[in-house]
Amino acid sequence: MSRAYVTGNHAAGHALAAAGEANRRARGCCGGAYPITPQTEIIEYLMAHAFARGSVVPVESEHSAMGVCIGAALAGARAFTASSANGLLYMMENVFAAGYYRLPVVMVVSNRTLGPPWNIWADQGDSLALRDAPWLQFYCDSHQDLVDTILVAFRIAEDLRVLLPAIVAQDGFLLSHTQMVVDLPEQELVDGYLPPLDLPHHLDFGRPRMYGGMTWPRDTQRQRADIQAAMDRVPEVLDEALDDFERSFGRRPVSAFSAEQTGDADIVVVACNTLAETAREVVRARRAAGERVGLVRVKLFRPFLRQALVDAVGPASRVAVLDRNHSPGSGGIFWNEIATSLRSRPDVVLQDYIVGLGGSDVAPAVIDGIIRDVGTRDTAADPIFITEAVA
Amino acid sequence: MIEIVVHGRGGRGGVTLAKLIAGMYFRRGSYVQAFGVYGAERSGAPVQAYVRVDTEEITAHLPITEPDHIVVIDPSLITAAVASGLRAGGWLVLNSPLEPAAFAQTFPGCCVATLDANAIASANGLGSPALPIVNTTMLGAAARLFGLHVADVEGALDDVGLKGGNPAAARAAYDSVLTAAMPGKVVRVAPQLPPRSLGFLDDGVGGLPTIHTGQWASRRPHSRELAAVCSEACPAGNDVRGFLQAAARGDYDAALSLILETSPFPGICGRVCPAPCMAGCNRAQLDEAVNVREVERAVAGRGRLPEPGKPRRAERVAVVGSGPAGLSAAYHLGRLGYGVTVFEADPESGGLLRRGIPAYRLPRDILDREVDFVLRHGVDIETGHPVDRAELARLRRRYAAVFVATGLQGTPSLELGGACNGAVLQGLDFLERACRGEASVAGDSLVVVGGGNTAMDAARTALRLGARDVRVVYRRTRDEMPAIAEEVDEALEEGVELRELEAPVRICEAATGPTLVCRRMRLGKPDGSGRRRPVPVEGDEALVELPCDRLLLALGQSPDVSVLPKGAEIRGCRIAGEKEDAPLFVGGDLATGEGTVAAAVGSGRLAAARIHALLDGSETEEPQPHELAGPDVIALDRFPKTAQHKSAMLAVDERRRTFLEVRRGFVDEEGEDATAAEAARCLSCGACNECETCVAYCPEGVVCPAGGHRYLFDYEYCKGCGLCAAQCPRGVIVMEDCAEEVCT
Repeated sequence: MSRAYVTGNHAAGHALAAAGEANRRARGCCGGAYPITPQTEIIEYLMAHAFARGSVVPVESEHSAMGVCIGAALAGARAFTASSANGLLYMMENVFAAGYYRLPVVMVVSNRTLGPPWNIWADQGDSLALRDAPWLQFYCDSHQDLVDTILVAFRIAEDLRVLLPAIVAQDGFLLSHTQMVVDLPEQELVDGYLPPLDLPHHLDFGRPRMYGGMTWPRDTQRQRADIQAAMDRVPEVLDEALDDFERSFGRRPVSAFSAEQTGDADIVVVACNTLAETAREVVRARRAAGERVGLVRVKLFRPFLRQALVDAVGPASRVAVLDRNHSPGSGGIFWNEIATSLRSRPDVVLQDYIVGLGGSDVAPAVIDGIIRDVGTRDTAADPIFITEAVA
Repeated sequence: MIEIVVHGRGGRGGVTLAKLIAGMYFRRGSYVQAFGVYGAERSGAPVQAYVRVDTEEITAHLPITEPDHIVVIDPSLITAAVASGLRAGGWLVLNSPLEPAAFAQTFPGCCVATLDANAIASANGLGSPALPIVNTTMLGAAARLFGLHVADVEGALDDVGLKGGNPAAARAAYDSVLTAAMPGKVVRVAPQLPPRSLGFLDDGVGGLPTIHTGQWASRRPHSRELAAVCSEACPAGNDVRGFLQAAARGDYDAALSLILETSPFPGICGRVCPAPCMAGCNRAQLDEAVNVREVERAVAGRGRLPEPGKPRRAERVAVVGSGPAGLSAAYHLGRLGYGVTVFEADPESGGLLRRGIPAYRLPRDILDREVDFVLRHGVDIETGHPVDRAELARLRRRYAAVFVATGLQGTPSLELGGACNGAVLQGLDFLERACRGEASVAGDSLVVVGGGNTAMDAARTALRLGARDVRVVYRRTRDEMPAIAEEVDEALEEGVELRELEAPVRICEAATGPTLVCRRMRLGKPDGSGRRRPVPVEGDEALVELPCDRLLLALGQSPDVSVLPKGAEIRGCRIAGEKEDAPLFVGGDLATGEGTVAAAVGSGRLAAARIHALLDGSETEEPQPHELAGPDVIALDRFPKTAQHKSAMLAVDERRRTFLEVRRGFVDEEGEDATAAEAARCLSCGACNECETCVAYCPEGVVCPAGGHRYLFDYEYCKGCGLCAAQCPRGVIVMEDCAEEVCT
């Protein structure tokens, strides 16, 4: 391991490059490159990297960047890219295509607010707009988590039991542009962790065939069912991947969820990304003050492992969800998932709080206020927007 | 945990400074975090960057509100609010040329450190002349105050590849930062919050607050006009840059009008001028000088001459001599409304232009046309009217003023012994006779002594008149010859032999005829003219014999002042004299000895202006010294290299036989106006020509065309980034400090 002092974007670039490099013994790697703040440094890092077997292709749009990934992955290469916000929306058609083609592309998303109005700061609305795409989605809370999860994502995505692409998300600027200390894995260890990619349906001159042609409705129904089945196999593959990761690198990244002091908690706060880091400080302070408060951090959003969530929340009777995203007319997107998961727990008061949209800072005092608020509720209200006035 | 806030301006390195500060601690094994506040209005905006240093892993991601130290890298940000939240005993590190005590009122109770980072960064070449980048300089000061060492600074800089001026500036800052504790109690000041956005629908779409970003500027762009090297070098005073730019637009009428402001002789100068403008042309440092002389000639041929005005003043002025100086003075006096009479001793006008410059260099129709143009300005000419001292005195009683420009008359002779005097002739006399068709040298072998234009003209004229061979003997080398280089080239092409480093000693009669005996010379130390002095080589073996039929002497000329009043004292261009007589002015070679048509034109124009000032009682505008647009202010690398358009030349064998003009002027290629294309090679050094590079590069859209080669900068929104100044290819835009208001 080499201890480095880099930005989140450079850490992500390092992990993508190392993963791509690891496939040099097979069909190499390929990246589709198009810049957008706040992920541009990832693309810059990859463009500057000299791959032993592979290349990064600069193109004219995000749509084409994913097109490059689709073509490269179909050819059997390890494919990757990065994007943010409106770039991701522009890419969207091909994002779905990559998943439906069952191509294990890994894309880092530096979360950024969708515009207009123009806003470059952190907000998960961009990757969550791909909620219904056939992609895995991981949300990271630190540079180390980001680096490790990128490697784990390749491992799961390329597993023949899964064969689906994966998004690994970080908060724009809060991680992407913050320079911090991180252990960057050495190539040798990554080589050992990521086996050569052997895509079963890669392009083969010896075996000509057609991809993505017209099918009957029933075939599509079956294809979707296959994808669901693949999603259902993610937990077992994830466990194996994390076990192997721990053996290879000596540390274990967080799985689908992490639970902190929820075993005896009355109130549990659910959050993700750096929001979870701030919430952790508050929870610890409340614990120190003798209150039974716990924290669940959501890391894996797709597939959303409902039973694991229920287990993580534990016996608490009040759950406050912090959503840095918003589905107009409904509420927080995480809250929706959690509500579905907690159907077996009608006793729980589940309250949604929409905070930090457009990258606004969520101070510990805000989370403190939320914990006080949920503690007074006997029934849940509609999702609550936390504006400056409330805070 | 140590928490540090950096206050800077977007795009000026504040975030990098935070990263470098954290980098120093990282090298010491600490956990660190550094990040900036990023905004939509980046360049020049007040921005903050944050540093956290800890012994444990850092999980906080919020901005720092109660820092242990504060670093302010832009002097314009030093206000009481900048110290908001500073913990007791923490350093407030300021980029300021002032001593810490100057901030006692602003930051009571604080520990203040100051350094003149702008000066240190500039001295170390950091940033651009438009905008110094001071972050690495501030790093040195910060390291000193935070108890770190120079090695930490150098290591952190080296880790990110910052070398050269960066570590040097940081070391200088480390050594020079001043510190003091301010008296009094700390005053808590609320932080300055950015203005609130408007509701999305409140003002239509967008909702951003109006920010007068000009308030962020510490420097502002200004337009200026620098003097062009070419125009400054022109002895006639032509606005060379101006007429080239007009010609580049294909506006030959405007180009001609501009030349006619200063010189009536574009067709003449466009042929015979040694073109000092081209010698100084900045373009020569890129590829080749702009071919100014040929463009001027083409403009003279293509522009329409304006209709002269009529005399409108009662006073008449007499001009003695119709050479270029006299005619120039007459022309400018005519333009000023005076009636002018020119007195010329020769039967024809033009002086040396007609007598001394052969037709193959200056066709007579060109000469006649431009002399005629002068005469159309209310100028009469009396040819065959010599003026001596007595006649001059009479003229001074009849005219309001008299200008004497009789040029050079005296011709030095050489003591070559008494033999063969019939074979020796003055070069100018030869040219004059040739001009009248009275010179015959057919079949002769000639030697011409001298290295100036007259020597070249005599040699080439002799060839055209059928001389068997022509040798030019010169006591220095080609490099020292005063003749126009192209004329020497052309003479050699035509078959003239150049004998360098030989000086005539005597002429003697040999059996075969006259023989010129020369002595070999070598070059010694430079003399008063700056050229290396020829030194004779001793001994008989250094003597060379040159048999010849004729010897032409072209050794320069001297002024004949016998026309001037006895004891006349030349003061500038004025002759001091009796008050009752009309003022007397002199000019041209008689006064200056410059020896070029352009200098004579300039001298005549200056005299006309002085005469006008005297008669009109107005002030003459003394020429102000200009700041020159030298190659240092021109971004030569922004311009593509292009070849100079050359004049077409008459074939050499035809040149030997006829007096047809040798230089034929530009030849237009298919679809290209060669004159405009060559003029367009002019870089317009130091003068805006509306290239709009500034408009294209301005990230704020605050450079606004105002017409007439003027651009206005909207200082309300100009952030002073300096891009326009850095990108201006011709040195027109400069950055200047805003009015200093450091302490508020």
